[in-house]
Amino acid sequence: MSGLLHFFSSHFSTLGHEFWPLLVGGLATGCIYAMIAIGYTLVYGVLRLINFAHSEIFMSGGFATFFLMRWLVGTSTPNTFETVLYLILGVLVGGLTGAGVATVLERVAYRPLRRRNAPKLAYLISAIGASYFLFNLAAKEFGRINFSMASPYVNHSLFTIFGAQVYMSYIIILVVGAVMLVALDRLVATSKLGRSIRAVAQDAETASLMGVNIDRTIALTFIIGGFLGGVAGYLYGLSFGVVYTMGFTPALKAFTAAVLGGIGNLRGAVIGGLILGVVESMSVAFVNGAFIDVVAFGVLVLVLLFRPTGILGERLGRSA
Amino acid sequence: MTTPLYDVKNVTLRFGGVTSLNNVTMEHRRGEILAVIGPNGAGKTSLFNSLTGVYRPQEGSITFDRDGSTPLSVIGKKAHRVASAGVARTFQASRMFPAMTAFENVKTGAESHRGFGVIGAMVKGPATRRAERASDERAWELLTFVGLEKQANVVSSSLNYGARRRLEIARGLATNPTVLLLDEPAAGTNPSEKVELTELIRRVRDEMGVSILLIEHDMKLVMSLAERLYVLNFGSVIAEGTPDEIRANPAVIEAYLGAADAGDEKEGR
Amino acid sequence: MKNFFTSPLAKRIGAMVALVATIAVMTGPPGDPTHPMAGFTGSFTERVSFFGLFPAPRGVLFAALGLLAAGMVLMYRRQAQPSVAKLRDKVVPQYHALAAKKPVRGLWYTAVLLVAIVLPHVVTDPFWQSAMVSQIAIYTLLAIGLNVVVGFAGLLDLGFVAFYAIGAYVTAWVTGALPVPAPFHHVIDAFWAIPVAIVFAMIAGVLLGVPTLRLRGDYLAIVTLGFGEIITIFANNLYGITGGSTGSKQIPHFSFHLGSLKYLWGLDPVPYYYLTLGFVVLFLLIFSSLEHSRVGRAWVAIREDEVAAESLGVNPLKYKVMAFAIGAASAGFAGVMTAGQSFFISPSTFTLAFSINILVLVIFGGMGSIMGVVIGSLVVQTISMYLIHTPPAGFQNSDLYIYLGALLIAMMIFRPAGIWPSKRRRREMTPATLEGEAQ
Repeated sequence: MSGLLHFFSSHFSTLGHEFWPLLVGGLATGCIYAMIAIGYTLVYGVLRLINFAHSEIFMSGGFATFFLMRWLVGTSTPNTFETVLYLILGVLVGGLTGAGVATVLERVAYRPLRRRNAPKLAYLISAIGASYFLFNLAAKEFGRINFSMASPYVNHSLFTIFGAQVYMSYIIILVVGAVMLVALDRLVATSKLGRSIRAVAQDAETASLMGVNIDRTIALTFIIGGFLGGVAGYLYGLSFGVVYTMGFTPALKAFTAAVLGGIGNLRGAVIGGLILGVVESMSVAFVNGAFIDVVAFGVLVLVLLFRPTGILGERLGRSA
Repeated sequence: MTTPLYDVKNVTLRFGGVTSLNNVTMEHRRGEILAVIGPNGAGKTSLFNSLTGVYRPQEGSITFDRDGSTPLSVIGKKAHRVASAGVARTFQASRMFPAMTAFENVKTGAESHRGFGVIGAMVKGPATRRAERASDERAWELLTFVGLEKQANVVSSSLNYGARRRLEIARGLATNPTVLLLDEPAAGTNPSEKVELTELIRRVRDEMGVSILLIEHDMKLVMSLAERLYVLNFGSVIAEGTPDEIRANPAVIEAYLGAADAGDEKEGR
Repeated sequence: MKNFFTSPLAKRIGAMVALVATIAVMTGPPGDPTHPMAGFTGSFTERVSFFGLFPAPRGVLFAALGLLAAGMVLMYRRQAQPSVAKLRDKVVPQYHALAAKKPVRGLWYTAVLLVAIVLPHVVTDPFWQSAMVSQIAIYTLLAIGLNVVVGFAGLLDLGFVAFYAIGAYVTAWVTGALPVPAPFHHVIDAFWAIPVAIVFAMIAGVLLGVPTLRLRGDYLAIVTLGFGEIITIFANNLYGITGGSTGSKQIPHFSFHLGSLKYLWGLDPVPYYYLTLGFVVLFLLIFSSLEHSRVGRAWVAIREDEVAAESLGVNPLKYKVMAFAIGAASAGFAGVMTAGQSFFISPSTFTLAFSINILVLVIFGGMGSIMGVVIGSLVVQTISMYLIHTPPAGFQNSDLYIYLGALLIAMMIFRPAGIWPSKRRRREMTPATLEGEAQ
C-alpha cells in the first residue's frame, strides 16, 4: 500500500515541478493536433466520412516545407526579417501542398465513389488504400530516414513563466495556430462558403436544392482541411523533423482529439486538440516514453465508450 | 384472458426540449385491431418506437404480455429483446434486406430467434438440417399467405411498393409474434392495393391470431379496419373509442381542423 | 479555347495523362535523401528498352502505352451500347439462376485441389517451396479468416494482425521459448499449442469486440487499428514477457505424438505445406458451411439493414462478436502455424502493413466470397513473391506496398465487390443497377 502511495506521490511531485513547462509544451503540441483535427472534422461534417488519408496530407506539408527550408535557409542564420518571411512562406507552401494533395485525394479516391452511391465501407477502404499508397510513395522517393528541418529561427528560450522556459518554437506554433484557427472560425461563421459548408453538413440534399454546389463545397472543404493539415506538418517538422511515417501517430491522436471535442464540431476539434496535447504532456510524468501513445489511444476508447458525441457534441451545423 | 397485450401507463418521452409523448396511457387488448391516429408530429411513430424498445421514455411503464402470464417491462430493453418476446413491426419506409430475395428475407425472419447454433452452423448435423427445412417451409407458407409466391426469387430491392409492404408483413409474421405493429402500411399505395392490404391485415388477425396495432393517416382505411382507436395530438391522448365514437368526437375534429382538408382529400383519393 | 479546357474530353485526357504519369513514377527508380527529385525525373528520363526493343526514355514509352490504352478503351466503349432488348434477356434468366447451384463448381474445386497437392513436387526451387507455405498458404488462411469478419459480417478490422501475433506468442510461450516460463512449467508440443492459442485469440477477440463493436464502421476501424498498434508496442517493449524487439527464443518444430502415431516436422517446408494445406481446406469447408447457415444469413441481415434485423429479434452485438471471435481464432491458428515453422518470432512480423496486406487480399478477391478470397490471395501473393524474388529494375521490396495501396483504391472505384465476388455482395456494392438503369 505504501508502495502505491510512494508511486503516486513521486509521480505527482514530478508533475508539480514540471507543471508549467509541461503545460506550455502540451498546449503547443495540442495546437498542432487541433489543426490536423480540423481536417478530420470538416470532412466528417460534409461527408460523414473519416478521411483516413489525412495523415498523408500532414506529411506532404512537412516534406514540401522541408525542401523549401533547405533551399531558403541552407546553413546560414537568417536575420529577423528573413525569419518572418521564411516562416510565412513555409506556412503558405505547407498549406498549399496540403490543400493540393487533399484535392487530388478527393478527386481520385472519393468522388468516383460518391457518384456511385457507394456504401460507407468502400470510402474507408479507398482511404486506407490512398494513405498506404502515398506514404510508401514518399518512402520510395525521399528515403526512409528522419530529416531534420533547417530552421528559419534560432530556438532559444524567449522568456520564462513560473520557472518554465518558453521556447521560440512554442510561441511560433501557438501564434500561427491561433491565427489559422481564428481565421477558420470566422470563415465558417460569416462567409458564404462557411454557410454552404454548414448547409451541406446539415442536409446535403436540401442544400443542393437551394443552389449550393455540392461538389465545389466538398472540394473546398478538403482544401481548407488540407491547408491546415499541411501547415501543421510544417510546424511539426520544424520541431521534430520529417520522415515518411510522420503522419501516422499525430493523425491518430488528432482524430482522437476530434472525437473528444465532438466530431463534426469545429470548436470542439480545437478544444479536443488542446486538451489532448496537455493530457499527453502531463502523462510524461507517469508513464514511460514508449507508452505515451497508449495514453492517447486510451482516451479515444474511453470517449467512444462513454461519451461518443464528444465534449461539445456532434453537429457541424451548430458549431459556429 | 383479460390482461392486455400492451399495457401503457403514463408514458412521457422527451428529446432535449421537445416532449414527444406526454403522459400517455393506453392498452392494446388481446386479439383486437387497434389503430393510433393523429395529425403529423403527434407522436405516433415515437409511440411505436417506445413500444418496440427503440426509444426509452423517461417516465411511465410499458408492459407487454404475450400470453397473459409472462409480463415483460419494455422500457429499458433492447429492440431485439422486445422482438424476441413476440413483437413484430414494419417500418414507414419499408426496410428490406435489399440484396436478398423475397424468400431469403422471410426465411431470415423465420430463423431469427432460434438458438445460436454456431457449431451446428459450421458442421451441418441432422438437427440443423431439419431446422433449415422447417424455416424453408415456413417462409414459403408465409409468402403464399401474402400473395408473393410468384416473386419469391426476386431480389427484394426490385419489388414494387405494395409488394414490399406485403413482404415486410410476411417477414414479421415469420417470427411467430403475438402482435404486429404496422407503421403507415398504406402510405404510397394506390386504391386497389389499399383494398388488398385491408384484406390481408384482417386475415392476419383472423387466420393467424396475431393482434394488430397500426398507425395510419388514411382515414377511410383506418375507419373500416380498426375496431378501436386512440387519437394523439401533440403527444397526448385526446380521445379513445370505436370508429363511430371517434368520428363524432369534437376534440378530434378540432385537432384535425387545420388538416381537415388533408383528411378529406385522402378519402377521395 | 477556355471551353475546351473545361470540357469533358479535356478532363478525360487530363485524367489519362495523370494516371500514366503516376504509374511511371510508381514503377520508376527511387529517389534518395540527397536527390529527392531523382525518383520523379528519373521515372521519365531513364532510358529503358521494352524487352530489348525500342530503347527510349521512359517518358516516351509510357506516353505510347498510354495512347494505346486510351485507344483501346475508346473502342471498347463505342461497342458496349446494349439495346434494351439485350438487357432484358440478360436480366430475367438471372433471377431464375439466383438460387440454382452450379454443378460444374464441384469439378473446378477438385481440379484446383489436385493441383495444389501435386504442386510441391513440380516446383522444386527452395525459395518458392518455402514461400508457398509462409507467404501464400498462411496468408490464404489469414485471408479466409479476415473474410469472415470483413466479408461476412461487414466489420472493418484493421488490427487483425494482433490476433495472429497472439497465436504466435502463445505458441512460443507454451513451448518454452519466451522469457516467461510455460504455464505450470510444463513445456508442450507445438502441435498441442493449437487449441491453447485459439482459445487465447478468441478471448482477445471477445474482449476487444464487446466494447467496440457497438461503434460505427469508421470508428471501429480506427479502434481496431489502435489495438493492433498497442499489441505491437507491448510486444516490443515488454522484454520480460515477450522477449522485446529481439523476439523469442527458438521454437521447436511441430511434432505429433498420439499413441503409436508419430511424426516430426523439420526444416523441409514440404511437410509443412501439406499440413497447412490440409487446414486451409478444413477452414474452407467449415466457413463455407457457416456462410450458408442461419448465422451467415444473420450476418447478411445485419450488414444490409441492422435496424430491420433487430426488429426480427437478431442481436447484432452478439453476432458481431461471434464473427470477431471466429476471425480471431483463425488468425491465432495461423499464428501457431507460423511459429511452428519459423525458428523464432519477433514483433517485426506483426505490423500494420501486415493487416493491410491481408485486407487487400480479401478486398481484391471479393469480400464475403470464400473462393474469391482464396483466388485473390493466391494471385496477389504469388505476384508479390515473384516481384521480390526476381525484382525488375529499380524495384525495392517495399514498393510492393505502393502497389497494394493503389490496388485498394482501384478496386473500390472499378470493382468493389472483388474479382470473384459473391453474387450478393455484387448486388450490395453496386446498388440500383438492375432496376431500370440500363447503361
